[in-house]
Amino acid sequence: MNAKQAFKRWILGFCGVATLAFTPVVDVTPAFAHGERSQEPFLRMRTVNWYDTEWVGKSTKVNDVTELRGRFHLSEDWPRAVVKPHRTFLNVGSPSSVFVRLSSKMNGVPMFNSGPLDIGGDYEYVVKLKARLPGHHHIHPMLAIKEAGPVAGPGGWMDITGRYEDFTNPIKTLTGETFDSETMGGMTGIMWHLFWVVVACFWVGWFMIRPMYLVRARVLAAYGDEILLDPIDRKVGAAMLVFVLVVVVVGYLAAESKHPISVPLQAGETKVKPLPVKPNPLTIEVAHAEYDVPGRALRMNLHVINNGTQPITIGEFTTAGIRFTNKAGAAKVDPNYPPELVASAGLTMDKESAILPGQTVDIKVESKDVLWEVQRLVDILHDPDQRFAGLFMSYTEGGERLINPVWAPVLPVFTRLGA
Amino acid sequence: MFRTDEIIKASKLPPEGVAMSRHIDHIYFIPILFITIVGTFHMHTALLCGDWDFWLDWKDRQWWPIVTPVTTITFCAALQYYNWVNYRQPFGATITILALGFGKWIAVYTSWWWWSNYPPNFVMPATLLPSALVLDITLLLTRNWTLTAVIGAWMYAILFYPSNWPIFGYSHTPIVVDGSLLSWADYMGFMYVRTGTPEYIRMIEVGSLRTFGGHSTMISAFFSAFASSLVYVLWWQFGKFFCTSYFYFTDDRQRTTKVYDVFAYATLAHGDKAKIGGKA
Repeated sequence: MNAKQAFKRWILGFCGVATLAFTPVVDVTPAFAHGERSQEPFLRMRTVNWYDTEWVGKSTKVNDVTELRGRFHLSEDWPRAVVKPHRTFLNVGSPSSVFVRLSSKMNGVPMFNSGPLDIGGDYEYVVKLKARLPGHHHIHPMLAIKEAGPVAGPGGWMDITGRYEDFTNPIKTLTGETFDSETMGGMTGIMWHLFWVVVACFWVGWFMIRPMYLVRARVLAAYGDEILLDPIDRKVGAAMLVFVLVVVVVGYLAAESKHPISVPLQAGETKVKPLPVKPNPLTIEVAHAEYDVPGRALRMNLHVINNGTQPITIGEFTTAGIRFTNKAGAAKVDPNYPPELVASAGLTMDKESAILPGQTVDIKVESKDVLWEVQRLVDILHDPDQRFAGLFMSYTEGGERLINPVWAPVLPVFTRLGA
Repeated sequence: MFRTDEIIKASKLPPEGVAMSRHIDHIYFIPILFITIVGTFHMHTALLCGDWDFWLDWKDRQWWPIVTPVTTITFCAALQYYNWVNYRQPFGATITILALGFGKWIAVYTSWWWWSNYPPNFVMPATLLPSALVLDITLLLTRNWTLTAVIGAWMYAILFYPSNWPIFGYSHTPIVVDGSLLSWADYMGFMYVRTGTPEYIRMIEVGSLRTFGGHSTMISAFFSAFASSLVYVLWWQFGKFFCTSYFYFTDDRQRTTKVYDVFAYATLAHGDKAKIGGKA
């Protein structure tokens, strides 16, 4: 190594050490994201279509109970690359257990275990949460699908106020005892661990107080092990064997008498039927769809038929938890819905008027917003299966909401000329 | 009380050599051997039986008593080989499990509590110390690794469940939530949200080890004992492979000999050391 190389390495090393040294003193802000945007668009758009998500109680005190609730539709255009939802679990995407989940119901069925869901079905969920760790937390509903992974729903902020030290979670068991989930069994476990550590340290210490390695190795190499095997070690070993066995048996019997009633872990499967299908007089089919890359817009040619008795207005297109609305749809958006997930003027149509009863009409729809980029849905163009799916929300004159799932292949438009 | 004087005399080390050997004992034993086992064995366990040991709601009657003993007897066997064959020290398994426990408790309070905010009772590790003690004592009393594989390894696995029942027995207390029957452990796993670990990940109470009137634990324990016995033999041989020292010596007639007595290396004349053809 010449002087120049040595100097270069010294400089590189210095930079590395300086970086490490300065890391603790720079202003580091915590990351709040859960990586939801890094999930491929086909996972977010064509598996679980979330809607009506509500973060009840944006601010909750420690020990108070709140809810995360909403609905989702399992897309009919389920990707071939994703395992079908034969075993799923309704989860909560949160930065650790900031809430304790007291119960979780899907279509009214308690969902403590995983279970199969039907593609094309709609499900309503309510998750009851008890505030535990104070802070400003980003919370998602999440559907974990076995062998496919978790599909995160839209994320909203929930605040927890108060002190963690005040958190308690006492729960009555079937045997009449009250267990606190934060402490139950903790001290007993620690005491048993400590007890066995003391016994084990005695055993190792018994041999540590005498020469351990070098001396014994020399003797073993020179004379064999007759000298090394001290008769007192065998006596202590035998006594220790009896002691260990007696403690194990007594400990087991004591635990049995203290908790005589026990059940195995419950490894069942929850079966949930989809919500009943309401009659929908509106039919929407996508005849053609393209994504305008420079324009950040998904354009669709819709073939729409109104078989109902009332005029119907299309108000919203939602996919991957992101809502593109026009004026009619914007009025229906819950004001507490995260504004960063709503493109309130993102939906335009060449025919904005209501679709009359019995009318068949072809409509050109454009859902356009920078959210396609920000939420990384534009990556749809890098998918092996370039399709999209989502839900159209329409409203009858009487105010009834109609939900139409749509799906179609999507063609890319890379230049403005092509648009 | 001990044969220490006799052993020191037989070692033919001068007093300063004996004193130095004690320093080596302490420096080698605590900072090197113990910490190395903590790092390697803790990682090994986390990879092979991690979830069963991390979470309260994974400690079932069927897989927990199989997976944990079978995957932990490994290092115990290898360290027993090293300590017994080279030094006739019968604490290889105990020191291994002590080191594992040390690493686990560091993880409980740093990774699980301080970093992830899970209460320690939810991530309480199992104890294997009674099993390890019995394994070591079996080797000491039988002085035979084959018998230790047959008797000690079986005891190692069989004792696992009863020795952990005082710690975890309460977690099988039944509870009813929203009309559903759960064990307390199930409900703990449900309550403390693990975003990346959905319920279906749990490998519990599945498989065909269900017979003899539902006594899953007994069947699992005996299967675990059988498997532990086989794994013990395999890892004893790993210990032999990795812990056997030797060197090659080429004499004046160019004959090369493999020498296992590493102390012979120290007794070689300076000129002879230059003739060593292999590693020591």
